[in-house]
Amino acid sequence: MVKTFLRRLLQIIPTLLVVVSITFVITRMIPGNPAVTLLGPQASVEDIAKLEEELGLNDSLWKQYTDYVGKLLKGDFGKSYSFNQPVAKLLMDRLPNTLLISLTSIVLAILIGIPIGIISAVKQYTPFDYISMVLALIGVSMPIFWLGLMLVLVFSVNLGWLPSLGMGSLENGLKDVILHMVLPVTCLTTIPTATFARITRSSMLEVINAEYIKSIRAGGLKEGVIIYKHALKNALPPIVTVLGIQLASSFTGAILTETIFSWPGMGTLIVGAIENRDYMLIQGAVVLTAAAFVFINLIVDIVYMIINPKVNLDNAKGGE
Amino acid sequence: MKKILAFLLVAMFVLVSVTGCGGNNTTPQANDESNTSGTNKEVTKKEIEVPSEPQDGGVLTIALVSSPKNLDPVKYTGTYESQIIQNVGDTLVAYSMDLSEIIPNLAKSWTVSEDGKHYTFQLRDDVYFHPGKFQDGRQMTAEDVKYSLERSHELSAMNRLDMIESVEVVNDFEVIVHLPEPNAAFLTALTNSGNIIVPKEEVEGWGDDFGNHLIGTGPFMLKEFKLDEEAVLVRNDNYWAQRPHLDGVVFKVITDINQNANALRTGEIDFSSGLSGEAVKIIREDENIRLLEMPGLHVAYIYFNQVKGPTADIRVREALIKAIDTKELVKGVYQYGEAQPASLPLPPGSWGYDASLESIVPEYNPEEAKKLLAEAGYPDGFKTTLYISNTPHRVKMATIVQQYLKMNLNVDVDIQTSEWGTFSEIGSSGNADIFAMSWTWYPDPFFFLNKIFASDAIGSLGNGQGFSNPEVDRLLAEALVVSEQEERAELYKQALKIIVEQHPGIFYSNENVTWGVAPEVQGLVQRADGCIFLTNTEVNVWKVQK
Repeated sequence: MVKTFLRRLLQIIPTLLVVVSITFVITRMIPGNPAVTLLGPQASVEDIAKLEEELGLNDSLWKQYTDYVGKLLKGDFGKSYSFNQPVAKLLMDRLPNTLLISLTSIVLAILIGIPIGIISAVKQYTPFDYISMVLALIGVSMPIFWLGLMLVLVFSVNLGWLPSLGMGSLENGLKDVILHMVLPVTCLTTIPTATFARITRSSMLEVINAEYIKSIRAGGLKEGVIIYKHALKNALPPIVTVLGIQLASSFTGAILTETIFSWPGMGTLIVGAIENRDYMLIQGAVVLTAAAFVFINLIVDIVYMIINPKVNLDNAKGGE
Repeated sequence: MKKILAFLLVAMFVLVSVTGCGGNNTTPQANDESNTSGTNKEVTKKEIEVPSEPQDGGVLTIALVSSPKNLDPVKYTGTYESQIIQNVGDTLVAYSMDLSEIIPNLAKSWTVSEDGKHYTFQLRDDVYFHPGKFQDGRQMTAEDVKYSLERSHELSAMNRLDMIESVEVVNDFEVIVHLPEPNAAFLTALTNSGNIIVPKEEVEGWGDDFGNHLIGTGPFMLKEFKLDEEAVLVRNDNYWAQRPHLDGVVFKVITDINQNANALRTGEIDFSSGLSGEAVKIIREDENIRLLEMPGLHVAYIYFNQVKGPTADIRVREALIKAIDTKELVKGVYQYGEAQPASLPLPPGSWGYDASLESIVPEYNPEEAKKLLAEAGYPDGFKTTLYISNTPHRVKMATIVQQYLKMNLNVDVDIQTSEWGTFSEIGSSGNADIFAMSWTWYPDPFFFLNKIFASDAIGSLGNGQGFSNPEVDRLLAEALVVSEQEERAELYKQALKIIVEQHPGIFYSNENVTWGVAPEVQGLVQRADGCIFLTNTEVNVWKVQK
């Protein structure tokens, strides 16, 4: 398994190189010129020409590409045009803020969503099942933007219980930060909770009705043991897959939620970078996200192997 | 199965009614007469007890709707940076708060040579920098003025001082600025926050990082600058003009407009400078928040391609103008009365404005429009593309224009909406059939007319549609050489007349500067250019202490 892990780890490098190249090409293909966007409408033709030269936009694309990849291999993500700061620093400043709310909401989603899914499956066609699945349906289809504004109206404007924006500061105590987290985390938790509940329910139902569970049940084991020890374990793979995707996308931040709550995270940074045609920053953010995706995929595969030893990752590539 | 369905329906019904109620309670009058402009509900604002004497203390929290990125005066490019910079640093001269004249600031007086090429400034001798890492709050002298202005001349990202040649130090408190040729916009350029006076030690000490540690001579000192979050300013007790009443100022970034309104209502901010659309209505109807509005130095316009396509023909341009009822257009776009209808490419707040020219602008007349278009060879209309950036006001405007042109002229308008980066590239390329945007700057007509209608601005977004008229170019150039404002105004009026007669576009509105302010905030003065000054020679904002 260690060998497989190491080999998969090495495969990340060519994958990332492809991602870098594609991102490089795409950022240059979208219309818009960083110098024009950066300087705004009042800039004269000379201002723009001067800045283009400064930013190295007049070099050939090939030179810009090789320069970028060369630096990237040395761990240098380049400098953001609009912030005039190293991309790596900008990303690392934001990543913890984003992970703080996104990981919290994933943990909450697991803690709430999976039990609901299990109970719904076990008590299929009971009122609990109906209500929770309708709620889940609403949760999945709720526009986050609307939900965020409604939460603010109710809990901040009308009731005055919770702050409506910003991160708070540790200087004012942990409580301040936690209070600031409540609304954005609620917003972010809605969809994953609903997704987990639905996936768990359908996956559990499949397993519960399988022949081998019936035979275990015939063997006289307690229902609780059957559900948690035998059924849940076999129902896990699809849940792990969804969890993997959720985890990986938590790195990019939640653009809408961060915007509504003025949360200084990755989402707002990336949107700003795209609006400003800040090539270096877009590339840096995409590389980071891609790395997170590839790495978490790898972890998910390993987890698969642990929960189901029959899964052999090497077989997928023709076997050895 | 039936049972399930019935249950689902009941559950949905209950949920919808519950959330529906919540919505009604929380959004005030969401469905009232919002479509009939001008009939906004009048709300009597709650009065608070205001002491007769200004009180010291308190921190003012201001929301900015876009994120300031770099506070280095030569590097910044957006208006949001300047809101912070101008409260940390001072310029040599400044616009008075009513924008009617240029008044002394760090320079207590100045004289201009006969030929208009040499400006001699007498500096104040009681101005000190904020203490920083590389100096301990020393006195500002002529050397600093020379350093700062020449730095701006050489390095400014926006060429904010491209008209000067050199700065000569006469003695500690006197400098002469030499211009290669007379330029009447020079003093206005000096008022730009890109030209504040900064100490050399700090600039060179911090290098690229000076933007995060800006040092100036202004009423507030930059304590902390957290990107995309906030800029924290504290009072400068040694401020030369007067001691600020406020202990400090926090500029917070809140990009969502509705959240600006919410944060005002929760009291998390005292002041929002970027209200528009629905948020204006919410604040107008909230009895606890004051809404300050004044006509801005702003023009929103539709600009026709002067060189290519059907609109290169002046008859087509005139027909398009006559086919759109601008007054109705403005009513439709600005449902909450956030703008005044306009007709000229200069805002009425500019001293070059000439109300007598309003009558030259063709009035709404679909019949004549149709005739003109037929004369120009398009009796059955044509297809064209209107480029806009994706802001709500612009999208609404484009939709209404599309309907007018289809209805009156059978012109098919394809609306191309894109975000700013894409829009600005198409706009400046000269390839857009028609585009729409807005322009806002100083009251000096130079900053409108020269940037939008001078031949040498072709290729920039301002004159992206290739307007070129030798007589206009001559008048605009001459207006820059003459130094008397009245004489200049006369030249600009002549240029404006020719411009309007060419029917370059539809200049449909002047948007208001719209601020939402907590009632505790006192002494705030709104400027038509939207600039926020908290303490200077004329104002000193304070907060009623609870």
